[in-house]
Amino acid sequence: MLKENMSRIRHSILGFFAGVIVTYIIILSFYCVNNEAALMLMVFDFLFVSLVFPLDGTFVKKISLLLIGNVIGLLWNTVFSSFAYVAACYFGEFLNILYILLNPLLNLIWVVSFWSISLSVLASSKTAR
Amino acid sequence: MTAYLIRHYVFTLTVLNRAHNRKKTAVTTKNEAYQPPVSILIPAHNEERVIGRILQGMTKLTYPKDKMQVIVIDDGSTDNTGETAEGYAKPHNYIKIIHRNQREGGKGKASALNTGLKQADGEIVFCFDADYYPQRDIIEKLVAEFTDPKVGAVQGRVTVLNEPQNLVTRLVALERIGGYRVDQQARDSLGLITQFGGTVGGFRRGLLKSLDGWDESTLAEDTDLTFRVYLAGYKIRYVNDAECYEEAVENWRDYWKQRYRWAKGHMQCAFKHSLKVLKSSNLRLREKLDGLLLLNVYFMPILVLLSWIVGVLLFFSHPPQWFSIFWALIPISLYSFVGNFAPFFEVGVGVYLDGRTRAYWLIPLLIFTFLYNIPICTKALADLFISKILGKNCNHWDKTVHSGNGNSYIIN
Repeated sequence: MLKENMSRIRHSILGFFAGVIVTYIIILSFYCVNNEAALMLMVFDFLFVSLVFPLDGTFVKKISLLLIGNVIGLLWNTVFSSFAYVAACYFGEFLNILYILLNPLLNLIWVVSFWSISLSVLASSKTAR
Repeated sequence: MTAYLIRHYVFTLTVLNRAHNRKKTAVTTKNEAYQPPVSILIPAHNEERVIGRILQGMTKLTYPKDKMQVIVIDDGSTDNTGETAEGYAKPHNYIKIIHRNQREGGKGKASALNTGLKQADGEIVFCFDADYYPQRDIIEKLVAEFTDPKVGAVQGRVTVLNEPQNLVTRLVALERIGGYRVDQQARDSLGLITQFGGTVGGFRRGLLKSLDGWDESTLAEDTDLTFRVYLAGYKIRYVNDAECYEEAVENWRDYWKQRYRWAKGHMQCAFKHSLKVLKSSNLRLREKLDGLLLLNVYFMPILVLLSWIVGVLLFFSHPPQWFSIFWALIPISLYSFVGNFAPFFEVGVGVYLDGRTRAYWLIPLLIFTFLYNIPICTKALADLFISKILGKNCNHWDKTVHSGNGNSYIIN
């Protein structure tokens, strides 16, 4: 009983800190990258928490995946927006427009790929169980 | 688009909860002792490469053979379909072959099924495509649902037999998982419109007769029948455990032909049934809503295309602030309409629940089927309109060719 309560408290603390970190990442992406990046991260977090957390696997593993996903999303958007900025400076505004138009699909690549990887990681827990 | 996205999200959550609850509670067994006489219709038009496989499957069914009638409708075949089927009919007296000559046959699946229905005398009439291979106890599993008098039809699960063959078959398999393991299961659990998929399903013969069988004037006779069953006040149940294995299309050309037919037929049904669904007194509000979403699902890829065009135009005409938010939502919406119109999270959860660990890696590649579905559905709608304007018959049944490669995946 005591062990169970301790584990619950540990999970709550871990969840709280993870929530704080995720919030910081979203704010960071909103101010330092662009609106779309922040929105994509929010959508990703919502889907991930509601649909991946009920699956098999330890809480720590799921929280770690969520944090890694957010970091990847932030880096992905930072890298691509930097590329777009540089390209627009060198080759003209046209490339910036192209980036904005393709941005949703570029985001899709990391979201879906990371989703697949996360499921594989959690599936290994299921298999082990 | 948002409505579809929410719908798929709710479906995914429902299936997850169901799987979670099933772990906790004991699985209730259906009344498998209920064994009424059944008729199984197998329409076949130039299916010599696969007809032997399904008839072999029929001989291995565990359902009592004295209560079973298998009717193969050799629908104007120009190959050896009829001869191969006759080879199975000789030693098995419950297998019957109906030969239609080339003048009568080849008019589409609905026409062939109606011919078979006239000869069927089972209480329940099942329908299987010639390229399928059934589980041995599939009939017991499906027929058990008919103990409920409100159930007018039942649908089993379709799984891809030749999945390892190439990328196209693997992607089709993912679509099937999303469509059946999650979509159909959720609709059944939530009491929404469970769709009869045209095969691996059965109907009460009396109901079928009262509905005048399959409608030959539409290309999606299965969707049409689904709605006619619901409008008549009956339900369709989905049985996930009743699996049947199909030979999926093997290349992009065949994928186009098959999906184009589905899209066009579905659109015909949308024009035919949308208003009836809204007005029906036999349907609850949630069934009406789900019915409308289901009927109009093939218009969504066209809407996605339009949203891209409008988005680009808006961008070049001094976009307002909300535009960027709208733009960021597009990818998630887009993925709601991939292939079998199941988004990545739905397919992901379906694959997870099936325990298909390696299939996850292919989910990002569903983008190809999504992109492919945009021109398919757009062309289907354009052709439908053109044929309406010109008053031409647009119901040409472009048959999917089955190579028989799936045979190598069956271990006897």
